[in-house]
Amino acid sequence: MKISVDHPRCEGHGLCADQAPDVFSLDEDAELTYRFEGTDVPDEHQPAARAAVNACPVAVLRVLS
Amino acid sequence: MTAPRSVLIVGESLAGTTAARHLRTLGHTGPVTVIGAEEHGAYSRPPLSKVVLKDPAPDQTLGLVLDGIDIDVIRSAAVAADTRRRTVTTADGRQVGYDALIVATGADARRLAAPGQRGELVLRTLNDARLLRARLADARSAIVVGAGFLGMEVASACAARGIPVTVVDADRPLERILGDHLSAEITARASAHGIRFIQATGFATLTGDPVSGVALPDGTELTADLVVTCAGEVPSTGWLAGTVLADRLGVGIDDACATTVPDVFAAGDVTYLRGDGTRPDRRAPFWSNAVAQGRAAAASALGLPPQGPAQDDYFWTEVAGLTVKIVGRLPLLGEPTTVQGSVADGRALLTWSHADGTSTAVAYGLRRPVAALRALAATTLPPSP
Repeated sequence: MKISVDHPRCEGHGLCADQAPDVFSLDEDAELTYRFEGTDVPDEHQPAARAAVNACPVAVLRVLS
Repeated sequence: MTAPRSVLIVGESLAGTTAARHLRTLGHTGPVTVIGAEEHGAYSRPPLSKVVLKDPAPDQTLGLVLDGIDIDVIRSAAVAADTRRRTVTTADGRQVGYDALIVATGADARRLAAPGQRGELVLRTLNDARLLRARLADARSAIVVGAGFLGMEVASACAARGIPVTVVDADRPLERILGDHLSAEITARASAHGIRFIQATGFATLTGDPVSGVALPDGTELTADLVVTCAGEVPSTGWLAGTVLADRLGVGIDDACATTVPDVFAAGDVTYLRGDGTRPDRRAPFWSNAVAQGRAAAASALGLPPQGPAQDDYFWTEVAGLTVKIVGRLPLLGEPTTVQGSVADGRALLTWSHADGTSTAVAYGLRRPVAALRALAATTLPPSP
Protein backbone atom coordinates (compact mmCIF):
# COMPACT_ATOMS: atom_id res chain seq x y z
CA MET A 1 0.00 0.00 0.00
CA LYS A 2 1.28 3.40 -1.04
CA ILE A 3 -0.11 6.77 -0.01
CA SER A 4 0.14 9.96 -2.02
CA VAL A 5 0.30 13.33 -0.29
CA ASP A 6 -0.74 16.51 -2.10
CA HIS A 7 1.67 18.67 -0.07
CA PRO A 8 0.74 22.08 -1.56
CA ARG A 9 -2.90 21.56 -0.51
CA CYS A 10 -2.05 20.35 3.02
CA GLU A 11 -3.40 22.88 5.54
CA GLY A 12 -1.61 21.43 8.55
CA HIS A 13 -4.66 20.33 10.53
CA GLY A 14 -2.64 17.35 11.77
CA LEU A 15 -5.54 14.94 12.22
CA CYS A 16 -3.53 12.31 10.26
CA ALA A 17 -0.79 12.45 12.86
CA ASP A 18 -3.38 11.97 15.63
CA GLN A 19 -4.49 8.73 13.90
CA ALA A 20 -1.08 7.43 12.78
CA PRO A 21 1.78 9.07 14.68
CA ASP A 22 4.24 6.47 13.33
CA VAL A 23 3.37 7.41 9.75
CA PHE A 24 2.67 11.15 9.77
CA SER A 25 4.16 13.90 11.88
CA LEU A 26 3.89 17.68 11.95
CA ASP A 27 6.44 20.16 13.23
CA GLU A 28 5.57 23.22 15.31
CA ASP A 29 4.59 25.14 12.17
CA ALA A 30 2.28 22.28 11.10
CA GLU A 31 4.49 21.27 8.18
CA LEU A 32 3.75 17.63 7.37
CA THR A 33 6.31 14.85 7.13
CA TYR A 34 5.19 11.53 5.65
CA ARG A 35 7.57 8.80 6.71
CA PHE A 36 7.00 6.42 3.78
CA GLU A 37 7.13 8.87 0.88
CA GLY A 38 7.61 6.92 -2.38
CA THR A 39 7.68 3.53 -0.67
CA ASP A 40 5.20 1.01 0.75
CA VAL A 41 3.60 1.48 4.14
CA PRO A 42 4.71 -1.50 6.28
CA ASP A 43 1.87 -3.93 7.08
CA GLU A 44 1.83 -3.15 10.79
CA HIS A 45 1.14 0.55 10.10
CA GLN A 46 -1.52 0.08 7.41
CA PRO A 47 -4.69 0.17 9.56
CA ALA A 48 -3.59 3.39 11.25
CA ALA A 49 -2.45 4.84 7.91
CA ARG A 50 -5.88 4.15 6.39
CA ALA A 51 -7.55 5.84 9.37
CA ALA A 52 -5.22 8.81 8.83
CA VAL A 53 -6.17 9.07 5.16
CA ASN A 54 -9.84 9.10 6.15
CA ALA A 55 -9.23 11.71 8.84
CA CYS A 56 -7.85 14.38 6.50
CA PRO A 57 -10.44 17.20 6.41
CA VAL A 58 -9.20 18.48 3.05
CA ALA A 59 -8.70 15.13 1.29
CA VAL A 60 -5.03 15.58 0.41
CA LEU A 61 -4.12 11.98 1.32
CA ARG A 62 -4.96 9.13 -1.09
CA VAL A 63 -4.42 5.41 -0.82
CA LEU A 64 -2.85 4.16 -4.07
CA SER A 65 -3.59 0.50 -4.73
CA MET B 1 -27.44 -6.74 24.90
CA THR B 2 -26.76 -8.50 21.62
CA ALA B 3 -25.43 -6.49 18.68
CA PRO B 4 -27.99 -5.53 16.04
CA ARG B 5 -27.91 -7.81 13.02
CA SER B 6 -28.06 -5.16 10.34
CA VAL B 7 -27.22 -1.48 10.36
CA LEU B 8 -28.67 0.90 7.78
CA ILE B 9 -27.04 4.29 7.30
CA VAL B 10 -29.04 6.86 5.34
CA GLY B 11 -26.81 9.57 3.89
CA GLU B 12 -23.57 8.99 1.99
CA SER B 13 -22.03 11.91 3.83
CA LEU B 14 -18.96 12.49 6.00
CA ALA B 15 -21.01 11.43 9.03
CA GLY B 16 -22.46 8.45 7.16
CA THR B 17 -19.17 7.12 5.79
CA THR B 18 -17.42 7.73 9.11
CA ALA B 19 -20.15 5.70 10.85
CA ALA B 20 -19.87 2.89 8.28
CA ARG B 21 -16.11 2.60 8.71
CA HIS B 22 -16.36 2.84 12.47
CA LEU B 23 -18.86 -0.03 12.63
CA ARG B 24 -16.18 -2.24 11.06
CA THR B 25 -13.43 -0.78 13.27
CA LEU B 26 -15.54 -1.76 16.28
CA GLY B 27 -15.70 -5.33 15.00
CA HIS B 28 -19.23 -5.40 13.63
CA THR B 29 -19.46 -8.24 11.11
CA GLY B 30 -23.16 -8.00 10.24
CA PRO B 31 -24.60 -6.31 7.14
CA VAL B 32 -24.04 -2.57 6.72
CA THR B 33 -25.95 -0.70 4.02
CA VAL B 34 -25.48 2.96 3.04
CA ILE B 35 -28.22 4.77 1.12
CA GLY B 36 -27.00 7.92 -0.62
CA ALA B 37 -28.64 10.45 -2.94
CA GLU B 38 -25.41 12.07 -4.13
CA GLU B 39 -24.47 11.00 -7.68
CA HIS B 40 -20.75 11.49 -6.97
CA GLY B 41 -20.89 9.40 -3.80
CA ALA B 42 -19.42 10.78 -0.59
CA TYR B 43 -16.82 13.53 -0.81
CA SER B 44 -15.03 16.03 1.36
CA ARG B 45 -16.90 19.36 1.46
CA PRO B 46 -14.49 21.81 3.18
CA PRO B 47 -12.43 22.27 -0.04
CA LEU B 48 -15.55 23.20 -2.06
CA SER B 49 -15.58 26.80 -0.88
CA LYS B 50 -11.80 27.16 -1.05
CA VAL B 51 -9.51 25.31 -3.47
CA VAL B 52 -12.31 23.95 -5.68
CA LEU B 53 -13.41 27.50 -6.54
CA LYS B 54 -9.88 28.24 -7.79
CA ASP B 55 -8.85 25.03 -9.53
CA PRO B 56 -10.63 22.08 -11.21
CA ALA B 57 -7.83 19.61 -10.41
CA PRO B 58 -9.04 18.62 -6.89
CA ASP B 59 -12.56 17.71 -8.15
CA GLN B 60 -11.42 14.15 -8.82
CA THR B 61 -9.65 13.60 -5.50
CA LEU B 62 -12.27 14.61 -2.94
CA GLY B 63 -13.99 11.23 -2.66
CA LEU B 64 -14.51 9.54 0.71
CA VAL B 65 -14.06 5.86 -0.09
CA LEU B 66 -15.67 2.82 1.54
CA ASP B 67 -13.57 0.28 -0.36
CA GLY B 68 -12.66 -3.09 1.09
CA ILE B 69 -14.88 -3.07 4.17
CA ASP B 70 -17.93 -4.89 2.75
CA ILE B 71 -20.45 -2.04 2.73
CA ASP B 72 -23.50 -2.27 0.46
CA VAL B 73 -24.07 1.15 -1.15
CA ILE B 74 -27.44 2.09 -2.71
CA ARG B 75 -27.25 5.27 -4.83
CA SER B 76 -30.84 6.47 -4.66
CA ALA B 77 -32.43 9.05 -2.39
CA ALA B 78 -34.33 7.86 0.68
CA VAL B 79 -37.92 9.07 0.34
CA ALA B 80 -39.68 7.58 3.35
CA ALA B 81 -39.02 5.87 6.66
CA ASP B 82 -41.25 3.68 8.82
CA THR B 83 -39.70 3.35 12.26
CA ARG B 84 -42.39 0.94 13.46
CA ARG B 85 -41.84 -1.57 10.66
CA ARG B 86 -38.13 -0.61 10.53
CA THR B 87 -37.86 0.09 6.83
CA VAL B 88 -36.58 2.89 4.59
CA THR B 89 -37.92 3.36 1.06
CA THR B 90 -35.75 4.72 -1.75
CA ALA B 91 -36.66 6.79 -4.83
CA ASP B 92 -35.99 3.79 -7.07
CA GLY B 93 -38.59 1.77 -5.19
CA ARG B 94 -36.51 -0.37 -2.87
CA GLN B 95 -37.56 -1.06 0.69
CA VAL B 96 -34.60 -1.66 2.98
CA GLY B 97 -35.05 -3.13 6.45
CA TYR B 98 -32.82 -2.55 9.47
CA ASP B 99 -32.21 -3.53 13.06
CA ALA B 100 -30.48 -0.22 13.75
CA LEU B 101 -30.78 2.98 11.70
CA ILE B 102 -28.28 5.85 11.52
CA VAL B 103 -29.67 9.07 10.03
CA ALA B 104 -26.89 11.04 8.32
CA THR B 105 -28.60 12.87 5.46
CA GLY B 106 -26.86 16.17 6.18
CA ALA B 107 -28.37 19.49 5.15
CA ASP B 108 -29.28 21.46 2.05
CA ALA B 109 -28.43 25.07 1.30
CA ARG B 110 -31.01 27.56 2.59
CA ARG B 111 -32.46 29.37 -0.42
CA LEU B 112 -33.95 32.86 -0.56
CA ALA B 113 -35.46 32.91 -4.06
CA ALA B 114 -39.22 33.47 -4.35
CA PRO B 115 -41.25 30.59 -5.77
CA GLY B 116 -40.53 30.42 -9.51
CA GLN B 117 -37.60 32.87 -9.34
CA ARG B 118 -34.75 31.26 -11.30
CA GLY B 119 -30.96 31.38 -11.20
CA GLU B 120 -30.24 31.47 -7.47
CA LEU B 121 -26.68 30.32 -6.78
CA VAL B 122 -25.80 28.49 -3.55
CA LEU B 123 -22.77 26.46 -2.45
CA ARG B 124 -23.34 23.12 -0.81
CA THR B 125 -22.53 20.35 -3.30
CA LEU B 126 -19.71 19.60 -5.73
CA ASN B 127 -22.05 20.50 -8.61
CA ASP B 128 -22.80 23.86 -6.91
CA ALA B 129 -19.05 24.51 -6.62
CA ARG B 130 -18.40 23.62 -10.28
CA LEU B 131 -21.20 25.91 -11.46
CA LEU B 132 -19.95 28.74 -9.26
CA ARG B 133 -16.36 28.25 -10.48
CA ALA B 134 -17.53 28.51 -14.10
CA ARG B 135 -19.50 31.67 -13.32
CA LEU B 136 -16.53 33.21 -11.48
CA ALA B 137 -14.43 32.86 -14.63
CA ASP B 138 -16.22 35.72 -16.41
CA ALA B 139 -18.03 37.64 -13.64
CA ARG B 140 -17.11 41.33 -13.32
CA SER B 141 -19.01 41.96 -10.08
CA ALA B 142 -20.46 39.86 -7.29
CA ILE B 143 -22.82 40.03 -4.33
CA VAL B 144 -22.74 37.49 -1.51
CA VAL B 145 -25.81 37.30 0.73
CA GLY B 146 -24.64 36.16 4.15
CA ALA B 147 -21.45 36.99 6.07
CA GLY B 148 -20.98 33.68 7.85
CA PHE B 149 -17.94 31.55 7.18
CA LEU B 150 -19.25 30.22 3.85
CA GLY B 151 -20.17 33.71 2.63
CA MET B 152 -16.77 35.12 3.57
CA GLU B 153 -15.00 32.19 1.87
CA VAL B 154 -16.97 32.77 -1.33
CA ALA B 155 -16.27 36.52 -1.12
CA SER B 156 -12.57 35.67 -0.67
CA ALA B 157 -12.67 33.54 -3.83
CA CYS B 158 -14.14 36.53 -5.70
CA ALA B 159 -11.51 38.89 -4.30
CA ALA B 160 -8.72 36.46 -5.18
CA ARG B 161 -9.85 36.68 -8.81
CA GLY B 162 -10.01 40.48 -8.68
CA ILE B 163 -13.81 40.53 -8.84
CA PRO B 164 -15.29 43.44 -6.84
CA VAL B 165 -17.57 41.81 -4.25
CA THR B 166 -20.12 43.12 -1.78
CA VAL B 167 -21.23 41.03 1.20
CA VAL B 168 -24.62 41.75 2.75
CA ASP B 169 -25.81 40.58 6.17
CA ALA B 170 -27.70 41.87 9.19
CA ASP B 171 -24.75 40.89 11.41
CA ARG B 172 -21.12 41.82 10.85
CA PRO B 173 -18.85 39.23 9.17
CA LEU B 174 -18.51 36.05 11.25
CA GLU B 175 -19.87 37.88 14.30
CA ARG B 176 -22.45 35.18 15.13
CA ILE B 177 -19.78 32.47 15.08
CA LEU B 178 -16.63 34.19 16.31
CA GLY B 179 -17.82 37.15 18.38
CA ASP B 180 -17.07 40.86 17.98
CA HIS B 181 -13.29 40.94 18.52
CA LEU B 182 -12.32 38.62 15.66
CA SER B 183 -15.24 39.88 13.56
CA ALA B 184 -13.84 43.41 13.65
CA GLU B 185 -10.34 42.22 12.69
CA ILE B 186 -11.62 40.03 9.88
CA THR B 187 -13.93 42.75 8.54
CA ALA B 188 -10.97 45.14 8.35
CA ARG B 189 -8.81 42.55 6.63
CA ALA B 190 -11.56 41.69 4.15
CA SER B 191 -12.04 45.39 3.36
CA ALA B 192 -8.31 45.78 2.67
CA HIS B 193 -8.62 42.91 0.17
CA GLY B 194 -11.48 44.52 -1.75
CA ILE B 195 -14.41 42.86 0.01
CA ARG B 196 -17.05 45.51 0.72
CA PHE B 197 -19.51 44.83 3.56
CA ILE B 198 -22.99 46.31 3.89
CA GLN B 199 -24.81 45.79 7.17
CA ALA B 200 -28.51 45.49 6.41
CA THR B 201 -31.23 46.19 8.95
CA GLY B 202 -33.01 42.93 8.13
CA PHE B 203 -33.39 40.26 5.51
CA ALA B 204 -32.24 40.88 1.95
CA THR B 205 -34.46 39.70 -0.91
CA LEU B 206 -33.24 38.55 -4.31
CA THR B 207 -34.29 40.65 -7.30
CA GLY B 208 -34.53 39.82 -11.02
CA ASP B 209 -35.53 36.64 -12.83
CA PRO B 210 -33.03 35.14 -13.28
CA VAL B 211 -31.56 36.55 -10.07
CA SER B 212 -29.44 39.65 -10.77
CA GLY B 213 -29.34 41.56 -7.50
CA VAL B 214 -30.63 42.12 -3.98
CA ALA B 215 -33.00 44.55 -2.33
CA LEU B 216 -32.34 45.64 1.26
CA PRO B 217 -34.98 46.65 3.83
CA ASP B 218 -33.91 50.34 3.65
CA GLY B 219 -34.75 50.45 -0.07
CA THR B 220 -31.17 50.03 -1.32
CA GLU B 221 -30.96 47.94 -4.49
CA LEU B 222 -27.73 46.36 -5.70
CA THR B 223 -27.05 44.43 -8.89
CA ALA B 224 -24.13 42.26 -9.98
CA ASP B 225 -23.10 39.64 -12.56
CA LEU B 226 -23.03 37.05 -9.81
CA VAL B 227 -25.31 36.78 -6.76
CA VAL B 228 -24.54 33.95 -4.33
CA THR B 229 -26.78 33.02 -1.40
CA CYS B 230 -24.78 31.84 1.63
CA ALA B 231 -27.60 31.98 4.18
CA GLY B 232 -27.00 28.82 6.14
CA GLU B 233 -28.38 25.33 5.80
CA VAL B 234 -31.61 23.42 6.27
CA PRO B 235 -31.43 19.88 7.70
CA SER B 236 -32.41 17.26 5.08
CA THR B 237 -35.36 15.65 6.83
CA GLY B 238 -38.12 15.61 4.19
CA TRP B 239 -37.90 11.80 3.95
CA LEU B 240 -38.61 11.54 7.71
CA ALA B 241 -42.10 13.06 7.38
CA GLY B 242 -44.53 10.80 9.20
CA THR B 243 -41.98 9.85 11.86
CA VAL B 244 -41.39 11.69 15.13
CA LEU B 245 -37.66 11.97 14.41
CA ALA B 246 -37.38 15.47 12.94
CA ASP B 247 -38.50 18.97 13.82
CA ARG B 248 -37.53 22.46 12.62
CA LEU B 249 -33.94 22.14 13.92
CA GLY B 250 -33.37 18.69 12.47
CA VAL B 251 -33.09 15.34 14.24
CA GLY B 252 -32.58 15.79 17.97
CA ILE B 253 -29.87 13.62 19.54
CA ASP B 254 -28.33 13.13 22.96
CA ASP B 255 -24.62 12.80 23.82
CA ALA B 256 -24.64 9.21 22.49
CA CYS B 257 -26.30 10.26 19.20
CA ALA B 258 -29.52 8.49 20.21
CA THR B 259 -32.81 9.94 18.96
CA THR B 260 -36.11 9.62 20.82
CA VAL B 261 -36.91 6.46 18.82
CA PRO B 262 -35.34 3.17 19.98
CA ASP B 263 -32.56 1.84 17.71
CA VAL B 264 -32.51 5.04 15.64
CA PHE B 265 -29.39 7.20 15.87
CA ALA B 266 -28.28 10.29 13.97
CA ALA B 267 -25.05 12.12 13.15
CA GLY B 268 -23.75 15.19 11.33
CA ASP B 269 -25.42 18.26 9.84
CA VAL B 270 -28.92 16.74 10.02
CA THR B 271 -28.77 16.76 13.83
CA TYR B 272 -29.05 19.11 16.75
CA LEU B 273 -27.99 18.35 20.29
CA ARG B 274 -31.14 18.28 22.44
CA GLY B 275 -31.11 20.73 25.31
CA ASP B 276 -31.69 19.91 28.93
CA GLY B 277 -32.13 21.99 32.08
CA THR B 278 -28.65 23.49 31.71
CA ARG B 279 -28.27 24.06 27.97
CA PRO B 280 -30.53 25.00 25.04
CA ASP B 281 -31.05 22.96 21.86
CA ARG B 282 -27.95 23.54 19.74
CA ARG B 283 -27.19 23.01 16.07
CA ALA B 284 -23.45 22.77 15.39
CA PRO B 285 -23.11 21.65 11.75
CA PHE B 286 -19.32 21.53 11.61
CA TRP B 287 -16.96 19.04 9.96
CA SER B 288 -15.46 17.89 13.25
CA ASN B 289 -18.88 17.18 14.76
CA ALA B 290 -19.88 15.05 11.76
CA VAL B 291 -16.81 12.87 12.40
CA ALA B 292 -17.27 12.67 16.17
CA GLN B 293 -20.99 11.92 15.83
CA GLY B 294 -20.47 9.38 13.04
CA ARG B 295 -18.23 7.41 15.40
CA ALA B 296 -20.52 7.82 18.41
CA ALA B 297 -23.60 6.79 16.40
CA ALA B 298 -21.79 3.66 15.18
CA ALA B 299 -20.89 2.67 18.73
CA SER B 300 -24.42 3.33 19.99
CA ALA B 301 -25.96 1.35 17.11
CA LEU B 302 -23.94 -1.64 18.32
CA GLY B 303 -24.98 -1.11 21.93
CA LEU B 304 -21.46 -0.02 22.89
CA PRO B 305 -20.60 3.07 24.94
CA PRO B 306 -19.17 5.91 22.77
CA GLN B 307 -15.37 6.12 23.03
CA GLY B 308 -15.33 9.89 22.73
CA PRO B 309 -17.66 12.86 23.05
CA ALA B 310 -20.25 13.43 20.32
CA GLN B 311 -19.17 17.07 20.14
CA ASP B 312 -15.75 18.11 18.90
CA ASP B 313 -15.34 21.87 18.92
CA TYR B 314 -12.76 22.23 16.15
CA PHE B 315 -13.57 24.78 13.51
CA TRP B 316 -11.58 26.53 10.80
CA THR B 317 -12.12 29.02 8.03
CA GLU B 318 -10.16 31.08 5.55
CA VAL B 319 -10.78 34.77 4.89
CA ALA B 320 -8.82 36.73 2.28
CA GLY B 321 -5.95 34.25 2.41
CA LEU B 322 -5.79 34.12 6.20
CA THR B 323 -6.59 30.85 7.96
CA VAL B 324 -8.29 30.84 11.36
CA LYS B 325 -8.30 27.58 13.34
CA ILE B 326 -10.25 27.31 16.56
CA VAL B 327 -10.53 24.68 19.30
CA GLY B 328 -13.15 25.25 22.00
CA ARG B 329 -16.50 26.81 22.62
CA LEU B 330 -17.93 29.57 20.40
CA PRO B 331 -18.70 32.45 20.18
CA LEU B 332 -15.76 34.32 21.68
CA LEU B 333 -16.94 37.15 23.89
CA GLY B 334 -14.70 39.96 25.11
CA GLU B 335 -10.95 40.33 24.65
CA PRO B 336 -8.48 37.46 24.21
CA THR B 337 -5.14 36.77 25.83
CA THR B 338 -2.41 36.98 23.18
CA VAL B 339 -0.08 34.03 23.67
CA GLN B 340 2.11 34.79 20.67
CA GLY B 341 2.38 37.27 17.79
CA SER B 342 -0.20 39.96 17.11
CA VAL B 343 -3.56 40.03 15.36
CA ALA B 344 -2.60 43.32 13.68
CA ASP B 345 0.32 41.53 11.98
CA GLY B 346 -2.03 38.73 10.86
CA ARG B 347 -0.15 36.10 12.87
CA ALA B 348 -1.26 35.36 16.41
CA LEU B 349 -2.03 32.64 18.91
CA LEU B 350 -4.95 33.68 21.13
CA THR B 351 -6.95 32.24 24.01
CA TRP B 352 -10.32 33.11 25.49
CA SER B 353 -11.21 31.93 29.00
CA HIS B 354 -14.91 31.34 29.58
CA ALA B 355 -16.83 31.76 32.81
CA ASP B 356 -17.62 28.01 32.86
CA GLY B 357 -13.92 27.19 33.24
CA THR B 358 -13.31 26.08 29.64
CA SER B 359 -11.02 27.83 27.20
CA THR B 360 -10.90 28.39 23.47
CA ALA B 361 -7.60 28.52 21.55
CA VAL B 362 -7.29 30.31 18.21
CA ALA B 363 -4.50 30.21 15.62
CA TYR B 364 -5.04 33.40 13.62
CA GLY B 365 -3.05 33.34 10.38
CA LEU B 366 -0.56 31.01 12.03
CA ARG B 367 -0.10 27.37 10.97
CA ARG B 368 -0.61 25.19 14.01
CA PRO B 369 -1.71 21.54 14.23
CA VAL B 370 -5.04 20.94 15.95
CA ALA B 371 -3.29 18.90 18.65
CA ALA B 372 -1.26 21.98 19.66
CA LEU B 373 -4.45 24.06 19.89
CA ARG B 374 -6.19 21.35 21.92
CA ALA B 375 -3.24 21.31 24.34
CA LEU B 376 -3.30 25.11 24.60
CA ALA B 377 -7.07 25.17 25.22
CA ALA B 378 -6.70 22.47 27.88
CA THR B 379 -3.96 24.28 29.81
CA THR B 380 -5.30 27.82 29.70
CA LEU B 381 -6.39 28.87 33.16
CA PRO B 382 -9.91 30.15 33.72
CA PRO B 383 -10.31 33.80 34.74
CA SER B 384 -9.85 34.47 38.45
CA PRO B 385 -13.18 35.07 40.23
